[in-house]
Amino acid sequence: MNIIERLKERFEVLIAEKKRKDLLIIETTKKGLIPMLFYLKEYEGYRTLTLISCVDWIEDKKFQMSYILWNFRMKANIIVKFMLDRENPDFETVYKLWPQAEAYEREIHEMFGVNFEGNPTQNEELILEDWDNIPPMRRDFDTLKYSMEKFGEREPKSRINIRKEISEQYDEWRRK
Amino acid sequence: MGKDKFLNEKPEKLTYSGVFKKIDNWARARSLWVVAYGTGCGAIELRPTFTSRFDAERFGMRMVGTPRQADVIVVSGYLTVKTLKRVIRVYEQMQSPKYVVALGACPINGGMYYDSYNAINRLDLYLPVDIWVTGCMPRPEAILAGFKRLQELIDDGKADGWKKYIEALDWYRGNQRKIIKNWRMPNYNW
Repeated sequence: MNIIERLKERFEVLIAEKKRKDLLIIETTKKGLIPMLFYLKEYEGYRTLTLISCVDWIEDKKFQMSYILWNFRMKANIIVKFMLDRENPDFETVYKLWPQAEAYEREIHEMFGVNFEGNPTQNEELILEDWDNIPPMRRDFDTLKYSMEKFGEREPKSRINIRKEISEQYDEWRRK
Repeated sequence: MGKDKFLNEKPEKLTYSGVFKKIDNWARARSLWVVAYGTGCGAIELRPTFTSRFDAERFGMRMVGTPRQADVIVVSGYLTVKTLKRVIRVYEQMQSPKYVVALGACPINGGMYYDSYNAINRLDLYLPVDIWVTGCMPRPEAILAGFKRLQELIDDGKADGWKKYIEALDWYRGNQRKIIKNWRMPNYNW
C-alpha cells in the first residue's frame, strides 16, 4: 500500500500525480488541507515545510495555494495544493504546525491579500511600507501604470510603447 | 499612525575660507572614505573593488562602517521605497562635504525594473548624484574609473551636489514625500 492509497483512504484527494521518483503532487480541498498536512508531518515523516506559494488564476477566480513538504529520511518532496476562492480569500494559519510558516504567510498576505486567521504577525509590513493600492502580485494590478504614476516616466518613452505593444500582442496570442 | 519626522530645518551654513579651498579639495580628493552600505545587487562588485584584487586603497579609498565617518555613499543598483528611506537617512547623517555615486542602469532610469511596483526610476529626484557609472552591473574597473573622475571633479571644486541638496531642500523633500508617505523612523540631526 503506497502513500497515495493511504492518503485516499483517509482524506479527500482530487488529483494525485507522481511527477518524479521523489516528487508527488496532491490536490485536495480547503477543508481537508490542514488534517492532511498534520497526517503527513506526524505519520509519514514529511516533517519540514519548505515553501508556501500562491498563484493567481484570475480566469477561474481562484488562488492556488501550494504547500511543499520535505521528507529528510526518504529524500522526497510532496506538494499539497488546493484552490481558494479569490473573492473571499480567508484561510487558517499552519503556524502551529511549523513556526516558519509565519513569514511565508505574512508575505502572501502582503502580495496577494490572503487572510490567514490565527497568524500573529500577518498585518505587519514585510517589504511594502505604506502600500496604498491593491496587493501587487494580483494579476489585475497594472505595475507599469502604477510605476509611471508614482515614480515618473522613463526616458525614452518609445521604449515603453514598444514594450506595451509586445505585451498586448502576447496577451492576444495567449487568448487564442 | 506615526508622525512626519522629515528634517525640515536646514543645517548651519558652512563658512568657507577661500585661501585654503584648494588645499582642502586636494586633500579631500585623495582620502575618499566610502560608507559600506550595499543597497542593491551592485554591492557584490564593491567587494573585489575594495579588497586586494582591484585594491582601491591605492587611490586612498576605503570602506568605513558608519555614515558619520564617510565622504561617499555608493548607491549600488536598484532602490526600493523601503531602501530609499534608509539611504536618505544615511546620506543626511554624513558630514559635509559628501558625494553620491550611482552604479548601474537602475538609478538612472529604472533599468530592468522600470515597471516594478516598488523600485524607483530616477535617483536624482531624491538625492543629488555626482557620478553615474553605467552598466548592468559595472565591472570594478568601471567603478574605479568613476571614482577617478569623482576625484578630478573634487580637485576642480565641481562636485557640489551636497550644496545643491541644502539649497534645494524643499524640492527634494517634495519629491521624497510623494513616494514616502510615512517617515516613521527615529529622529536624528544633520
